[in-house]
Amino acid sequence: MAEDKYNRNNPAVKRILQEVKEMQSNPSDDFMSLPLEENLFEWQFAIRGPRDSEFEGGIYHGRIQLPADYPFKPPSFMLLTPNGRFETQTKICLSISNHHPEHWQPSWSVRTALVALIAFMPTSPNGALGSLDYTKEERRALAIKSRETAPTYGSSERQNLINEVCDQASELPTDKNEAEGGATEAISQPAENDTINEEPNETSSTENNVAQASQSVPAVPETVHQQQQLHVPQTGVVHKPADDRLFTWAAFGLTIAIVVLLLKKFLKANGYDVVFMNES
Amino acid sequence: MMSQEPLTSLAAEYKSGSPILLEKIKLLNEQYAAIRRTRGDGNCFFRSFMFAYLEHILESQDRAEVDRIKTNVEECRKTLLSLGYVEFTFEDFFTLFLEQLEGVLSGNEDSISHDELVQRSRDQSISDYVVMFFRFIASGEIKKRSEFYEPFIQGLTNTSVQQFCKSSVEPMGEESDHVHITALSDALGVPIRVVYLDRSHGDKGSSVSVNHHDFTPVACDLTNATSASGSEAVKPFVTLLYRPGHYDILYPK
Repeated sequence: MAEDKYNRNNPAVKRILQEVKEMQSNPSDDFMSLPLEENLFEWQFAIRGPRDSEFEGGIYHGRIQLPADYPFKPPSFMLLTPNGRFETQTKICLSISNHHPEHWQPSWSVRTALVALIAFMPTSPNGALGSLDYTKEERRALAIKSRETAPTYGSSERQNLINEVCDQASELPTDKNEAEGGATEAISQPAENDTINEEPNETSSTENNVAQASQSVPAVPETVHQQQQLHVPQTGVVHKPADDRLFTWAAFGLTIAIVVLLLKKFLKANGYDVVFMNES
Repeated sequence: MMSQEPLTSLAAEYKSGSPILLEKIKLLNEQYAAIRRTRGDGNCFFRSFMFAYLEHILESQDRAEVDRIKTNVEECRKTLLSLGYVEFTFEDFFTLFLEQLEGVLSGNEDSISHDELVQRSRDQSISDYVVMFFRFIASGEIKKRSEFYEPFIQGLTNTSVQQFCKSSVEPMGEESDHVHITALSDALGVPIRVVYLDRSHGDKGSSVSVNHHDFTPVACDLTNATSASGSEAVKPFVTLLYRPGHYDILYPK
């Protein structure tokens, strides 16, 4: 049955098989990715959080969908592990070009896109839809948590693949120096100054209509400088535990103040204010 | 890719159009017999070139030309590799083009007829791959000779060579300009004639004339100069009609 689906005369299938082969023969320390056996156009991946960032040590799982006319159209990515940078189970649209975000190029590959995705993590979301702007501490906590278990998602076949990817990913070297080579490897795009844009995601609701500034970063990880973390208004979609606690205390304080004032007024009106104030 | 139409269909299209255009169509009628229209999806130059070239090979069975272009294609493959392209990202496109080339030569087990060629040119999974193959070829050539192309690109879009290739050559659906045509013609060593049909008066003083431009590959001049066919410029066998924003194929009488 699987053989029927692998129609080798289909140019997209031919290309995807090539990519699978290439991925397997040049494994990277930074990510791993495999298609579902039943459907070559559906992949699972795991990426390692970029070094020297709050994501370091994290292992993030996700799903890749390749369009039927791949490589003419770009693959789409979705993260499944909570990470504090991208919403989970929401499409992240990565396309490649400075000025024309719709311009994906067939000379790019799943590998290039994964490298770009990793490079994207430490950048400021700038309000792009499907992005999150958690604090570094929260992201660090999520990075630690991400290593505990693989996410549960999709069919049993997909779940098996997720677990497999997870096992392989946790075998990846965790030592910083050991993995150092990975950053320079994996750059398969032809031009040094290629960039990847993070685009607003069309599937999100309009309520989330924050500034859609799409940003671009160089796809080459070493040249990605961490941009200033700008304050981006996130319209209530993001719940930050630290903020919640602050609000609780503020509300509590205000309630006490109001009660005290009311009490004071009540006492004064009933002539008991002498208890508190000695004049008259 | 439409069927061939007599040139009179072009005249019919501009029946109530500008007198200059009508005058020019009349002139075209003297030299050209027919037109074949291509879909206007931004890939029309490459698609027209694909069809015109393969059709020429199919009709001429010029094996020497096929061998020659294959050598150029191999050069282009090396160019892309040396520019840092990963082979698996472009090899399918190369393979598909070479298959089409074999197909139009008779005597192969997978030889095709003219009708099949028309069918293939309409088959997205073949046609788009060949278009993309040409885009790779053009992009590789422009990058390889970037110092030559830079001033043209600067004049056209005010961007860098890399940026131009990335946003105007490699993506599907991006329209072609002189730069693309020159690059493709040079890289493959195939001369291309482009006939311009627009509202401008021609070069020749007061009377209307139809301008054309021959894109003659640089390397082609040198090799032909020594051969017996003479030093006169190679006669292009690919002739395209350009109307602002669109390319179609022209058939000489």
